[in-house]
Amino acid sequence: MGEFKGAAANGDLSVALSNDELHILINLVEQLLELLGERNFTHHYQSDDPFAQLMAATLGNIQSPIEQPDDPVLRRLLPNGYADPESAAEFRKYTEGSLRTLKQKHLLYLREQLVFPVDHELPKADISITDPTQWLIAINDLRIALAVRLEIDEDGYKKYELMPDSDPQKHLHAVYYWLGGIQENLISHL
Amino acid sequence: MSSQTQVEETLDLSKFFDNLWVTIVWDDPVNLMNYVTYVFIKLFGFSKEKAHELMMQVHTQGKAVVSSGTREEMERAVQQLHEHGLWATLQRDDHGRV
Repeated sequence: MGEFKGAAANGDLSVALSNDELHILINLVEQLLELLGERNFTHHYQSDDPFAQLMAATLGNIQSPIEQPDDPVLRRLLPNGYADPESAAEFRKYTEGSLRTLKQKHLLYLREQLVFPVDHELPKADISITDPTQWLIAINDLRIALAVRLEIDEDGYKKYELMPDSDPQKHLHAVYYWLGGIQENLISHL
Repeated sequence: MSSQTQVEETLDLSKFFDNLWVTIVWDDPVNLMNYVTYVFIKLFGFSKEKAHELMMQVHTQGKAVVSSGTREEMERAVQQLHEHGLWATLQRDDHGRV
């Protein structure tokens, strides 16, 4: 469980994460970045470099899509702005590209912060939180993505507790609640 | 705007009523209560009490009007709420019947 030190007001807030926790977080961030980038650079640009992807996503914005994305995670992360489909499509035409870019920016920021300790023998790394808002948004988007994939609803925690340990999905649910703990903790340190 | 167009503008009350749009935040099972409160304070400058009250309204009633103004202002608010992962839409104000 991430342990927080310092205070955002003093600019020295940090969280201690184990190597395993860092691995999990990095993996999630990279998967979500990939998913968010898909529509824009599948046809335009192929690159492993996150900055190049960000550029491609921004430039890809010129021909904005107006239909809702097919993937349920993207539908939740990039929701309709209007109840009526016609206004929603028009709104999406002008806003979806920049919303994607902002979400990618927050995730890329988080990814850059997640650095393994130089001394690999150390059990935990102190990750400094220079921009708590970007952290919160990125962590929240990861939780949203996991919740959609795992179909977590209001009774999610009860269901999680009742899941047998043999269920391969159980540890993904555990990651979801672990991220919620980090988010809750981070807010209490602001 | 040139002075010419200003002179030609006439008082149009329908235009005034057209300006009333609202931003609605909808409940979802993911966003944490203290995160939603934090976002309301950050984006709309509410007091902690007001932000908490609106968050509770979203949580217990399924939705709450968090802002009102021109269509452009509400589109901007919805974009910011979406950036923060909240589920929000805008619509013309129909006097509380959202």
